[in-house]
Amino acid sequence: MSSSERNGKAKEKRRIFDETGKRLMREIRPLGGWVLLSAVLCLVLIGCAVAIPELMGALINRLYEWTEARTPGLGRSLLPGLGLLLGVYALQAGVTYGKYYMLQNAVSRYFCAGFRIRLSEKLRRLSVSYMDKTPAGDVIDRMMDDVSDMASSVSGVVDILISGFLQLFVIALILIITDWRMAIPVILLFPLSVFLSAKMATLGEEHWDKHFDLGGKLTSLAEEAFTNYPATKAFNREEELQKKYDELSERHQRKGILGYFLSSIVQPVIAFVNALAYIAVIVVGGWLILHRGVPIGTVVTIILFARQFSSPLERIAFGLGYIQHVKASAKRVFTILDLPEEEDPSGIVQPPTRGRVELRHVDFSYDPKKPLIRDLNMDVQPGQKVAIVGPTGAGKTTIVNLLMRFYDIQAGRILIDGRDVSELSRAENRKLFAMVLQDTWLFKGTVAENVAYGSPEATREEIVRACDSAYCDHFIRRLPHGYDTVISEDSTAVSSGQKQLLTIARALLANRPLLILDEATSNVDTRTELLIQKAMDRLMGGRTCFIIAHRLSTIVDADLILVIRDGQIVEQGTHRSLLEQKGFYYELFQSQYAI
Amino acid sequence: MRKLLSYLKPYRGRIALATLLMAVSAICDLLLPTLMADVLDKGVYGAAEADTFGYILKTAGWMLGLSLLSLGSVAGGYWVVYHVVAGYTWNLRSALFRRIHTMTLTEVGSIGASNLVTRTTHDVGTLNEVISMLCGGILIIPLMFLGGVVLCMRKDIYLSLVIICVVPLLLGAGILLSKRIEHLWEIADGQCDKQNDLVRERLRGIRVIRAFDRERHAHAKITDATRVMADNLIRANVSMEIIDPAAAFVLNTAALLIVYLGGVRMERGSGLTAGDVFAIIQYINIILGAIVSVSYDIVMLPHVRVAVKRLSQITESTALEEDRPAQGLSFSGAIDLEHIGFTYPGSSLPALSDVDVHIKPGEWVSVIGGTGSGKTTLTELLLAFRAPTEGKLRFDGQDAAKLSPKDVRANVSCSLQKSMLYAGTVAENLRMGKPDATDEELWAALELARIADFVREKPEGLNFRLEQAGSNVSGGQKQRLAIARAVLKEAPIYIFDDSFSALDFLTEAEVRRALGEKLAGRTRIIITQRVVSAMHSDRIFVLSDGALAGAGTHEELLESCSIYREIYLSQTGGGAA
Repeated sequence: MSSSERNGKAKEKRRIFDETGKRLMREIRPLGGWVLLSAVLCLVLIGCAVAIPELMGALINRLYEWTEARTPGLGRSLLPGLGLLLGVYALQAGVTYGKYYMLQNAVSRYFCAGFRIRLSEKLRRLSVSYMDKTPAGDVIDRMMDDVSDMASSVSGVVDILISGFLQLFVIALILIITDWRMAIPVILLFPLSVFLSAKMATLGEEHWDKHFDLGGKLTSLAEEAFTNYPATKAFNREEELQKKYDELSERHQRKGILGYFLSSIVQPVIAFVNALAYIAVIVVGGWLILHRGVPIGTVVTIILFARQFSSPLERIAFGLGYIQHVKASAKRVFTILDLPEEEDPSGIVQPPTRGRVELRHVDFSYDPKKPLIRDLNMDVQPGQKVAIVGPTGAGKTTIVNLLMRFYDIQAGRILIDGRDVSELSRAENRKLFAMVLQDTWLFKGTVAENVAYGSPEATREEIVRACDSAYCDHFIRRLPHGYDTVISEDSTAVSSGQKQLLTIARALLANRPLLILDEATSNVDTRTELLIQKAMDRLMGGRTCFIIAHRLSTIVDADLILVIRDGQIVEQGTHRSLLEQKGFYYELFQSQYAI
Repeated sequence: MRKLLSYLKPYRGRIALATLLMAVSAICDLLLPTLMADVLDKGVYGAAEADTFGYILKTAGWMLGLSLLSLGSVAGGYWVVYHVVAGYTWNLRSALFRRIHTMTLTEVGSIGASNLVTRTTHDVGTLNEVISMLCGGILIIPLMFLGGVVLCMRKDIYLSLVIICVVPLLLGAGILLSKRIEHLWEIADGQCDKQNDLVRERLRGIRVIRAFDRERHAHAKITDATRVMADNLIRANVSMEIIDPAAAFVLNTAALLIVYLGGVRMERGSGLTAGDVFAIIQYINIILGAIVSVSYDIVMLPHVRVAVKRLSQITESTALEEDRPAQGLSFSGAIDLEHIGFTYPGSSLPALSDVDVHIKPGEWVSVIGGTGSGKTTLTELLLAFRAPTEGKLRFDGQDAAKLSPKDVRANVSCSLQKSMLYAGTVAENLRMGKPDATDEELWAALELARIADFVREKPEGLNFRLEQAGSNVSGGQKQRLAIARAVLKEAPIYIFDDSFSALDFLTEAEVRRALGEKLAGRTRIIITQRVVSAMHSDRIFVLSDGALAGAGTHEELLESCSIYREIYLSQTGGGAA
């Protein structure tokens, strides 16, 4: 990130102003003031670039003149010119820094931060299904690295369009005015160096791509090796894995050599072509001095200008090459910004509160090719318990996704207290439910903040009361800072069972009429598991509950049991009625006692 | 540090060659302005001579030759450098990888898998970059500096003083500045990490955030972090960007000083020519170019320090596993845990204490308890990943501490808590335990683990490719594949650590029954938190807080062990009679 925000590699030239390019320019427009200001500063810098060889040439010329005339007071006569030049150098340094400072501020503060905030804002409106499908790393890469790469388009506009081309034009003009005969080799040879460097960078690109590709594979292999460490050793497979790793690592490095090599010799090749230009200037210049009486100072000035000629050219070549890279990043960022947003009715509806839930002829599937739920019907009375049972991976969480409207049903209706939930906004809908999932989620923050996540206005007493009811209070008090201890997902200060208790406390405090509960208590010690069950029972009291059931006691008492197999609801009824059916549920239930 | 450098040893000759080539190129670059100045001087003095132009052409020819030599040697230099760096990198990675696999599980666990990945990839990459930087760029700077000074001294000793004073001054200032920049980048990088964590947290918690309608809050947190990050990035970037104009200004001023002093010296008749002055100015420009091109690399240095520290922790680690040669022992399956205790290093409470269990060959035992009860530690002891800190573990009466861990693992087949599958085909994964297994044997194992149908449905069959960490199969399928892998391996002892938790009761019962048939006569240890997984075994051991809370059959424990009874009641609701 740090390096990509300031640097990059040259890439192949293609069409610059395609759709993405144009859009990128439009995005830069709000920064127009800054760009204009830096353009002005660029003009100052171009002025310096023109003045410096002129002034330096004059000084050197003085030295040559003195060699012939030998008039006294040479040192003193140089002083005014030196002073002037010192001033120009100071101006150049100051403006260079000032321009950078300003652009950096504008770009980081407004452009990058702006895009990152827009992306964050966009995340609010994207569907859960998008999040489920997209790895977090992918979103983070776009938000961080890609936005940084896009930022270089701003400096690109300034560096390439304004400073680059203008400076190039001015210097070429001066070269021709100073002496067109010496200017020709300079103007012809320098573009050649730029062309060569761009070609080489393109050549290197292919090797880079393969190198990076193999690098990714190498990382995956290391990741696998270290996470599966015990298994590797338990099966004595260390040597085999080592061989695989070494082979891949060697291929990875071999691919890298040519890529690194090509990108490293770009600079020397440019230097070589530049040297050719100097040699040409010397030959032509020497001939002109001898036969046309051109003053030697003119040759010196041309040489000094030639040096100025190469830097904008390099900048342009680099910038044009880099633009493909920038556009690729921009495209990835725009893709997120353009994603369809979740539609949501905005009308304020007094949400129902009794807790009757009906599903009528509901159809749903994640993948249109694989129908999952077809014509699902159920009627849950206020305060009833619905147990969802079935093998793991059978799709028990689908019901949660639909009730919470993380996913939309494709046909049928869901009614809460007789009102179709599609009339409610998602937020209103979700406000009816409290949710305790197996996958506990704690964010980085204090214990109190985590518990009060669903009810930010809760007072400390209310938080403590909820924690007390959820059997958290005793262990929270033993934490180093009690309720103000900062915890997070991977915090070791609280065990996984305690994390679950905290999420129960969170649900208790939120006090919603409906409850969704995942009973799974894996990786929890016996005592904590008992506490969790007691806390869950307390939470369920009086609420309409949907429970992903793992306990027999829950299943047996449930008012309605949904038996799910391969994503389909294969049976529903009470414990007794399902046993009488002697179907899948019966088999499932009996199996627990079989040897 | 020394260890890390030692991997460079075989390349000493080539590094010297590369440096030499780079030096040749640097000298050529410096000689060019000298020749140019020469031509200009001759152009003035030799105006009268007839073959002055011939001289100019001859010098131009020399310049062309030098330029070609410079290009050739720098290209050769880089070619050698990148071969050295590539060789170094893969040797280092290979050594690290090997080293990590000889370290103890405790050590590996304390560093953490993701951290180890960062070290072998990112940190090694940093070293790789710094070495190519050193060989390719930074080493030339002192050379250029020295060469420039020598050439300058040949022209005029006084003028060379200017270069001698200015360049070290500049480098000193650069190093001082880099300290500050280093600090600012540390802060900025920290802010970037924070932002990353926030976004990750938000995406992971999307359901909870939406359930509680806190999207606005999550967005606000990220917005704040973004602003803070921007401020810090600006500060770091801007502090770095001062190097370039400042260095240019100082060196340009030095050039002016040279012009002035040169003029003064010429007037005094020191023999200095205008061309010499012009040449010296160009030396300064060349040195400036070199300094500026590496000034960005200075920011790498703090990362290098971190990388070296972290890699040395691996290369110089003393926490290595006992390296006893395997003797090819085969056990009968008798295991004695004699008052075993285990305390993690740095922990005040023991994870296991006074566990006294004696398992007969062919016995089927279960260990039940939750996390924190010490179950996992027990598995790790049985696989010789750790040695008990108290008491003795014996296989067939032999002290496990005196056996090679490889022998122990050859006699114990296991299916571990996290399944731990590898990217590769189903067949490759299964054959880990028995490399020469036939396809029929593989199918039999899959059948036993009740996963054969799943594999058969795949068009590729046994060659169905599992993604890394088995991400393209469900948790239950992973567990069943791991069970198949475990039973395929022939061993007197089988451990199933939390291997059924993702299976439904029906499938589990079937698998358990099949295991009973297939593994009859072998020692079977089932480690679980589910009462149904344990209740039918010959003997059940109840672990609680690292201590044995009860031992016996299901019926005995229901009578005698209150913890077992509690677990049983809570999990079954007492429904099973």
